[in-house]
Amino acid sequence: MTLAQLTTTSDGQAHWRSHHRQEVMGTVVTLDLFGEGDAAPDGAYVRVARARAVLQRADAVFSTWNEHSPISQLRRGEITVGDAPPDVAAVLGDCETARALSQGWFDPWAMPGGLDPTGYVKGWAAQRAVDGLAGPGITGAMVNAAGDIASFGCPGTGTPFRIAIVDPADRRRLACVVELAGAIATSGNYERGEHLIDPRTTKRGSRVASASVTGPDLGLADALATALVVAGEEGLEFIEPIDGYEGFVIGRDGSWNWTRHFPFAPGWTAPRRGDLEGLDKSHGV
Amino acid sequence: MSWPWPPLPDWRACLLSVAATVSAGKLTNVTIASIDEGGNSRSQSIDRQAVPILEQEALQAQSANIQGVSGASYTSAGFEQSLQSALTQLGFR
Repeated sequence: MTLAQLTTTSDGQAHWRSHHRQEVMGTVVTLDLFGEGDAAPDGAYVRVARARAVLQRADAVFSTWNEHSPISQLRRGEITVGDAPPDVAAVLGDCETARALSQGWFDPWAMPGGLDPTGYVKGWAAQRAVDGLAGPGITGAMVNAAGDIASFGCPGTGTPFRIAIVDPADRRRLACVVELAGAIATSGNYERGEHLIDPRTTKRGSRVASASVTGPDLGLADALATALVVAGEEGLEFIEPIDGYEGFVIGRDGSWNWTRHFPFAPGWTAPRRGDLEGLDKSHGV
Repeated sequence: MSWPWPPLPDWRACLLSVAATVSAGKLTNVTIASIDEGGNSRSQSIDRQAVPILEQEALQAQSANIQGVSGASYTSAGFEQSLQSALTQLGFR
C-alpha cells in the first residue's frame, strides 16, 4: 500500500510525504520518505523498491519460521556459517559485538532451540532499508519495523522525528515522546513477549515492563533493548558507556529510569523517580 | 555458492472489523469489532497482542505531533482498510 500526502506550512513551502507498507518478517514494516516540494523525485520509488527487497531478502535468509531458510539449516547443523549467504556471518559478528557490549544480557546463542539472532535481525534489516532510501531531494526517511524505528534526516520541517513510546501499563496511552536522531527500539513484555529470554537462565523473563534504546544503528539498539528489558534498571549501566546510545526503562511499578542523555522531547521532561504525577501529558494524549 | 532463495512465507493478512467513533469532526475512538485470523496460527498469536496497539496507533496519529510509535508491535493493512471503510460510512473522510 502506498499513500502520498502533501502539506503546506505557514511559510508557503510545500512538503511531500510518501508512505509505504511491506508485509515481511511476520509483521508489517512501514517506510516513510519526506522532502520539500510538490512531489517525491522519481528516484524515490526506485529506492523504496530496493528497500523492500532488502527486507524480503533478510526475511528469506533469517526466518526461523521457514524451515528452508539458511538460518534454519544452520540451526539444525546441516550447513556451516561458511556455507550460508555472507549476511549470516556479518550478522553473527554483529551479534557477538552486541553480546559483549551488553555484558551477556543479549545472547542469541543462549536461546532455547539454539542459535536465534532474531532479536538483532529485524533492526539490522530496517537499518539497511532506511540507509538505502537516502538520495537527492529526500530530506528524511523512517522505517518502522513493528515499533523499532530507523531514521535519518528530518520530516521536512527542519524539526527532528518525534516518536512516542508506548506506556506498558496502558497501551492506549503514550508514556513519553523522544526526538529521534537515528534509531529507537523498544522491548516490553506487552508485545511478542516470547523473545524475552533471560540468557543467564535460558528461561522467559524480564525485570522491567519496557526498555527503549536510542542510537545511530537500529540493529544494535534492538539488541540492546532486548538485553535491557531482561537486565532491568541495572542494565542502564552497560548502556551508559556505549558511545551514542541511550537507554530508558519503565518498571513494573511505573517508575522511570534512564541514561544521562536520553533524548526526551521538550515538554516531556522526565519525572523524578516515582513522581509520575508531575508529568505533563496534556498535550500528548 | 548461490542460494535457491526460498519462497517468502505465506503470510495472510487477518480480517479485522473496526468501529470508529467520530465526534465534532475528529476521530475520537477506535475499537476492534471482530477478528478473523483465517486459521493462520502464526498471525493469531501476533494479532491478539497487537490489537490494542492498532487502536492506540490510530488514536496517536490523530492526537499527537508524532511520526511513529515505538513499542507498537504490529500494524495491519487490513486494519487500515477497515478503519477507512468505517470512517467513510460515518461520512468522515
